[in-house]
Amino acid sequence: MSLNAVWEAASATPFTPLIDKDSQFSVGFNLLLLALVTATLFGLNQSFLGIASLGFPAALAFGFGAVFMICAAGVYV
Amino acid sequence: MGTTYHQLRKLPKVHRPDTIASGILEPFQPWRNCVLQVLRMRFFTATVLGLLAPSLCAATNLTTPSRLDLPSGFKPPQVFKNTNLVRNTNLEKSYVRETINVVVENIDKQPHNDYYIPFPAEVFDRVAGFEVRDKKALEKGRFDVDYTEAVSSDGNQYFVIHLPEPLAPKSQITLGISYSVLSSLSPLPATIGQADKQYLTYSFSAYMPSAYTTNTQKTKLKFPSTNVPDYTTTDGLKSGSDPERKGATYTYGPYDTAKVAPGTQHPITVRYEFTKPVISISLLERDLEVSHWGGNLATEERYWLRNNGSELTKQFSRVEWTFTNYQQAPTSAVRELTYPLLPGSVDPYFIDDIGNVSTSRYRPSIGRSAGSLELKPRYPIFGGWNYSFRIGWNNDLASFLRRAAGVNSDSYVLKAPLIEGPKMAEGIQYERVVVRVVLPEGAHNVRFEILEGTNSNGLPGVNHIHAHLSSLKTYMDTLGRTILTLEVDSLTDEARDSKFVVTYDYSMLDALRKPLTIFAGMLTVFVAAWGIGKIDISIKKR
Repeated sequence: MSLNAVWEAASATPFTPLIDKDSQFSVGFNLLLLALVTATLFGLNQSFLGIASLGFPAALAFGFGAVFMICAAGVYV
Repeated sequence: MGTTYHQLRKLPKVHRPDTIASGILEPFQPWRNCVLQVLRMRFFTATVLGLLAPSLCAATNLTTPSRLDLPSGFKPPQVFKNTNLVRNTNLEKSYVRETINVVVENIDKQPHNDYYIPFPAEVFDRVAGFEVRDKKALEKGRFDVDYTEAVSSDGNQYFVIHLPEPLAPKSQITLGISYSVLSSLSPLPATIGQADKQYLTYSFSAYMPSAYTTNTQKTKLKFPSTNVPDYTTTDGLKSGSDPERKGATYTYGPYDTAKVAPGTQHPITVRYEFTKPVISISLLERDLEVSHWGGNLATEERYWLRNNGSELTKQFSRVEWTFTNYQQAPTSAVRELTYPLLPGSVDPYFIDDIGNVSTSRYRPSIGRSAGSLELKPRYPIFGGWNYSFRIGWNNDLASFLRRAAGVNSDSYVLKAPLIEGPKMAEGIQYERVVVRVVLPEGAHNVRFEILEGTNSNGLPGVNHIHAHLSSLKTYMDTLGRTILTLEVDSLTDEARDSKFVVTYDYSMLDALRKPLTIFAGMLTVFVAAWGIGKIDISIKKR
């Protein structure tokens, strides 16, 4: 099967990004803001429970927020 | 064939002018670079996600061009005869485009399928987009062609055409051979005034260089205009005037060459007006960067351009240029480059060694029509002058990428133009083109294919395109992005519409590598902060 045939066969499944280009900034900004808030709260009261309840979501939000924000800035990673 | 030969691997030469640094992300401002440098996530590579790294090497159809090494004194076996040969030479562009239709007959007692076409060694590497088809069955596609090294005895290099089926004795086949020859036109006079007309000369043989005897042959030359001040007239090759002139078309022949030995030369030189630039790109580097997270296909092209036309006799006069430009008079200088962009192209930029070039205009596409990027260099590029620059733009990835059919498939198919480039009436020749397809980090099992149609796509056969895989570490990368590099020597703008298809595997885990790496880094910081906070550093008696 030629690769062009693979392309034709995939006509029903075009690529759709997780977040649309127009929404990248708002999603990235909100996730980074959430990360900032939760990280600050964790900083005020550092405990092992705080890592699970605040540090974990803060790190997760920062991870995804950073990726979307850098895309919104025009550096498509 | 009866002659043994060995395959000799020949890697393309690597030539890289250093006037412009490479890198698709460099047009961004320095302050942004500083911020983004901090975000480079190289330091977690080994510890965090190293175990998740897929193999990069699973690509299966990458090619390295090779050439046949013929023994000294080699001569193609005389098993064919050219019954009739018509050569059409088009000089309307700044390179020579030849289309040859030849009826080939097997005159041996055995079937044969290897047909040799000789070129002088100094011309061979300047032959672009060489293609041979069965003229009566174009839809069957191009024939396989091998390239040879120079034969030391006669200095020729050969294209060896492998007919799909051996030609039976006394059978005939009509071959349609097409190619372009770069840098074969020379300006005469070599220096002219700024507003003068430019003339080019082209030299060739009235007898088509062939490895076989040719019964009858003729050559039709198509000039860009009827202004042809000098041309060779032959004497005694045929009855009547030679060449026959009809408007801008000159015909040499037909000649009866049944008794002329193969390889006999009869030099012809023509000189004609060509008051247009002779645009030659010594190197084009083209990057296509695929971003699944951003849903974007970023394109950047870096050009090293030169005008091979007549040089200026005197100093450049800005006043005279302004006058000529105002009148829109024909000129041998590059005044503007028009670059059609695909529908949906946004964020174009045009940068040279100094910085952003503001004398450009972008007409975005409306509906499904192409956009147009009009580039005006900082100065008109006269003969012998150089200009290097880069341009880039973005497209939505959805127009170029599809998920391969299948339930929960992790395979993706990318289809994009191999070469775009400016569209100029006078044509553009490329000495070397390097296309880099930057796939997402973690993409593996990469395969590629060049699309072929019923007409020539202006490219050599896929076996003569050097393809290899590498990786590139840039922003937010841990393992580095997979890069498929395709390198082609000698091309013309006829390859503008050629397309390639790339398939690759890219799992959810590959996609999540970037955010999870950052997540792991941040979590490590939090745990470290908590752990360090638990250390008792108070001063007290123990």
